[in-house]
Amino acid sequence: MTKKKVMRPDPRNFCALILFATAAPFLIVAPAVAHAVLLESYPPLRSAVSGPNVPIKLRFNVRIDAVRSRLTLIRPDGSAQPLEISKHTPTDTLSAQATGLTAGAYRLRWQVLASDGHITRGEIPFAVTQS
Amino acid sequence: MARLLQVFGFLSVLFRGATLTFQSLAIGGIVFLIFVIRHAKEDSAAIQQACLRWIRRSAIALALMQISYVLANSLILRQSADMSLGEVAGANFVLAGAIAIVAAFTVIALTTAGRSTGYADLLFPAAAIMASSVMTSHSTARLDYRVPLVAFTALHQAATAAWLGGLPYLLIAIRRAPAPDFARQLSARFSQLALVSVAVLASAGLVLGFAYVGSFKGVYGTSYGAMVATKVLLFGLLLFLGALNFQLVRRGPASSILASLKRFGEAEIGIGITVILTAASLTSLPPAADLANDRVSGQEIFARMSPRSPRFASPSVQELPEDVYAAQKKAFEVGSLSTESFVPGQTGIRPNTPAEKAWSEYNHHWAGIVVLAMGLLALVAQAGKVSWARNWPLAFFGLSAFLFLRSDPETWPLGPIGFWATLADPEVLLHRFFAVLVIALAIFEWRVQTGRVASGRVRLVFPVLIAVSGALLLTHSHSLGNVKEEVLAELSHIPLAILAVTAGCSRWLELRLPTENQTRNVMARLWPLCIALIGLVLLNYREM
Repeated sequence: MTKKKVMRPDPRNFCALILFATAAPFLIVAPAVAHAVLLESYPPLRSAVSGPNVPIKLRFNVRIDAVRSRLTLIRPDGSAQPLEISKHTPTDTLSAQATGLTAGAYRLRWQVLASDGHITRGEIPFAVTQS
Repeated sequence: MARLLQVFGFLSVLFRGATLTFQSLAIGGIVFLIFVIRHAKEDSAAIQQACLRWIRRSAIALALMQISYVLANSLILRQSADMSLGEVAGANFVLAGAIAIVAAFTVIALTTAGRSTGYADLLFPAAAIMASSVMTSHSTARLDYRVPLVAFTALHQAATAAWLGGLPYLLIAIRRAPAPDFARQLSARFSQLALVSVAVLASAGLVLGFAYVGSFKGVYGTSYGAMVATKVLLFGLLLFLGALNFQLVRRGPASSILASLKRFGEAEIGIGITVILTAASLTSLPPAADLANDRVSGQEIFARMSPRSPRFASPSVQELPEDVYAAQKKAFEVGSLSTESFVPGQTGIRPNTPAEKAWSEYNHHWAGIVVLAMGLLALVAQAGKVSWARNWPLAFFGLSAFLFLRSDPETWPLGPIGFWATLADPEVLLHRFFAVLVIALAIFEWRVQTGRVASGRVRLVFPVLIAVSGALLLTHSHSLGNVKEEVLAELSHIPLAILAVTAGCSRWLELRLPTENQTRNVMARLWPLCIALIGLVLLNYREM
C-alpha cells in the first residue's frame, strides 16, 4: 500500500517570504527626485528684468494645487516676502505680482504641491535693473 | 521636524514602495479568494481561513503605511509652507489616504468576522484601495488625456495586484491543499487568472509607456525611460517563469509537479516585489515625456560605456573635499549648487569633483575584480574539478574591508569625522550596513559551499541577500540637479540590478527545485555566470 503524501502547511517558510516582502521596501535609502518640473518661468532663470513691478509666472509639467503652493521673494538684503498667488490661472501655472522692487539680486523661492501629492521646491535667481 | 525634513525624500519612496506592496497583497488575496477558491467547500476551509488571515495582515500593514504617509506628508507641508491644519486636510493626498485607511479597516473588519461563504463584498474596499492608489499616481496630475490615463493606471495596478499579489496565496493554497489533485486544480485556475492579468497589465502598460515615455530616445535618454525598460525586462523574466509554471500545470502527474510549482512561485514573488519597488521608484520620477531637455544621447552613452582599462590609481584622501557637508554649504553660498528643483530636505545638488569621481571609479573597479574572481571560481567549483575553488565566498571579506575603508573617505578611519557621528547620516549608515551584509554573506555562503551546512534555511541567505541588493539598486538615488549624470549612473546600475536579481533567483531555484527537475542544472550554471558578469560591469563603471 502506498502511503499518501500529506501536504502540510509550512508557515515558517511563508513567514520568511512575507518578511522579505516587508523588509525590502524598508531598506530603501534613496532620496525621492523632485517630481514637478518647471517648464518655463518669468522672470527666466538668471535673467535681468526691469523693475519696480515684476509679474511672476511659473509653468509646470503637472497639475498644481495652487492653494497649497507657495511663492516667496528673497530680497537683496536676505529678507523674505511671501507673494500672493493668483487664483485665476491654468491648473499648471502659478502667477503673482512682485511690486516695488529696487535694483539688485533677487531669488524667487517656490514650493508646489502636485495633484498626486508630491511636494517639490526650487529657486529662481534673477536680477532687477532700474526701469 | 528638522530630522523628518532631512529624511523626507527617503520616507516618500519608502512609504510608496510599502504601500504598493501591501495593497497588492491585500487585493491579490481578495481576488484569489473570489476567483480561484471560488466556492466554499469543506476541503478548502483551511485554505480560506489562511487566506483571510493574510489578507487581514496585509490590510493592517497597508493602513499603517497610509497613516504614516499622510502624517509625514502633512507635517512636511505644514512646516515647509506654514500651512494650517485645515488647509492641509483639503489636499488630494489626504483624501486619497483617508479613503485607503477606511477601506483597509473595512477589509480588516470583514475578514475578522466569522464567515465561510461569499467574499464578493470584499471587492468594494478593494476597489476603494485601488482608487486611492490611482489618486496619487502620475495620471491624476497629468494635463492631457487625464481620464483615459487614470483608467489605464487603474487597470495596470489592479492586474498587477491580481497576478503578483495573488502568487503568495497560491503558495499558501498549495501547501494547505488536502490532496495534490486539488492543489493542481487551484494552480490551473490561478494560471487562467494570471494569463488574463498579464494581458491586461501589458496592454495598459504599453499605453502608459507611450504616454509617459513618448519616444525611443526617451527610453535610453532619461531615468524614467530606463526604469520603464527595466520593468519590462523583469516582466519578461516573470513571464518566463510563469510559462514554466503553466507548462507544469498542464502536464504530468500532480504529485510530481507541485514541488517545482511552489519553487517557481517563490522565485516569481521575489521578482514581483522587485518590479513593485521599481514601480514605486518610477512614481517619484518625472515622466520622460516631460523632460525634453538634458536627455542623454546615444553618443554620450557610447562614450561613457565603451570599454576602457580599469583605474588602478586612486587619488589621495587629501584631494577629496574634507567635509562633504561643508562643501555642499560652500557651493550653495557661491551659487554653484543646482537649486532649480528639489524635494524638501535637500539643499540642492553639488556636482562631484574629478577627484571624487576618480575615487569612486577606483572603488568600483577593484570591487569588480573581486566579484569577477568570485564568479569564475564559483563556475569552476560547480564543475567539481578544483575543490579549493569552493572557498570563493571568503573573497567577500576583502570586499567588506574595502567597502568599509573607502566608501566614505571623509569618515573614520580615513577622514576626520568620528565613527559614531557618521552613523546619524543615512547614506553612511547604509554603506556600513552593506559592509556588515557582505560579511554575513561570506560566512553563510562559505559554510554552504564547503558542505558545513547541507540543508536548511541558512542556504537561502545568499540568494535572498543578492536579490534584495539588486532590488535596492533599482531604487538608487536620483536628482534633477544634474540630469545627464544621473541618467548615465542609472544606466550603469540597471544591468547590475538585473544580474543580481537573476543570480539570487537562479541560486534559490537551484537549491529549492526537486532534484529530478532538469531546470535545476541550468540554474546551477546561471548564477555564477551572473556574478562574473556583475564583476565585468563593475570593471567598466565610469563617472566621467
